[in-house]
Amino acid sequence: MQEFKSLKDIPEQDYFTGGSSACAGCGPSLGLKLALKVLGPETIIINSAGCMTLLPLYPNTPLKASWIHNAIENAASTAAGARHGLDMMGNGDMNVVVYAGDGATYDIGFASLSAAAAKNERIIYICYNNQSYGNTGFQWSTATPYGSETKTTPRGKENPTGTTIVNKDMLKIMGAHRVYAATASLAYPVDFLNKLSRAKERDGFSYIELLGACTAGWNYDPRLTIKISKLAVRCGMWPLYEIEHGMLTLNKDFSELKPIDEFLKMQGRYRALPPDGVERLQALINEHWAELKEYNKQRYV
Amino acid sequence: MREEEIPYKGIEGIPIIREPGSAAKVNRGSWRLVRPVHHSEKCTKCKICYIYCPDAAINWTPDGPDINLTSCKGCMICAEECPTGAMTEEKEGA
Repeated sequence: MQEFKSLKDIPEQDYFTGGSSACAGCGPSLGLKLALKVLGPETIIINSAGCMTLLPLYPNTPLKASWIHNAIENAASTAAGARHGLDMMGNGDMNVVVYAGDGATYDIGFASLSAAAAKNERIIYICYNNQSYGNTGFQWSTATPYGSETKTTPRGKENPTGTTIVNKDMLKIMGAHRVYAATASLAYPVDFLNKLSRAKERDGFSYIELLGACTAGWNYDPRLTIKISKLAVRCGMWPLYEIEHGMLTLNKDFSELKPIDEFLKMQGRYRALPPDGVERLQALINEHWAELKEYNKQRYV
Repeated sequence: MREEEIPYKGIEGIPIIREPGSAAKVNRGSWRLVRPVHHSEKCTKCKICYIYCPDAAINWTPDGPDINLTSCKGCMICAEECPTGAMTEEKEGA
């Protein structure tokens, strides 16, 4: 297994070029660039409709690996089919990777994802989570955290909180499928690439969820993509952990979390979140963090 | 398996992109409001700007980062993350 210890170990080959139509400072596009450094050109990327679908726009593509675009419901089943096809043709070494958004993972494509995970197909499923349906203009998805404003959950007199529904705990769901499930952050590329390299060597299904900061939807200055990703980890909004065989490992452990306020202030989607909303969000985060600390290195699901 | 080994009998006129990474030629420089400027005397060659560039517009050379202004969209993550201030911004067209 290829292991990275510091930023200097990260490979210098790029299988992703510039010139795509992604926004300036796009988090998910950076995630794909980093992922391809480990996966290499012998990779088939399967994408279900989302922001990243707009990367290869005829007649140009920023990718130096193969790409299949399909409907939002069935990225995981397409990947399973591609895997079986490749194995039959004797191309077992090729990587089959799904790169799908959170709408396709949490909501619409969940049935096929669950089936592929239950069958333990040898694919890597990367969910770039921008916590909304970003491509269609930032609508609410089940990945949207409490208190975030979206186009379909706007703030108003009746509802000053915005999103009042608490997001799904997807890692727990995937962990319960007895597969490898991990979270990753763009601000910790060494951790992300190590998880990918581990997933690549595994003989089974791997699920990696990457927090893909979205400059247009989260409403912040594009230069802050990495700062915000780092803060999300530091304040417990996006803890880095992995679940294998039901066992939880906390990858970045902090004795104390930073308060959420600084993270919220940087983003337009949380602007005007009333103090009781902030309190409730902080309580949800503390609860999750305490649960992770309690079950660290123990059976979680 | 390589392309020539598979007899492809696809639909005529189907759009196929045959050149990998062909988007590198596309000029996205017009999206920029500010552009990054590298100062090699302050650079410690830590690779942070190169790794965090979402558009792969910074190529890594033995002498440090080499900015490709055709691909750079001016997000300025490089300037924000540079620990020594070796990457600064300059207004476009000034």
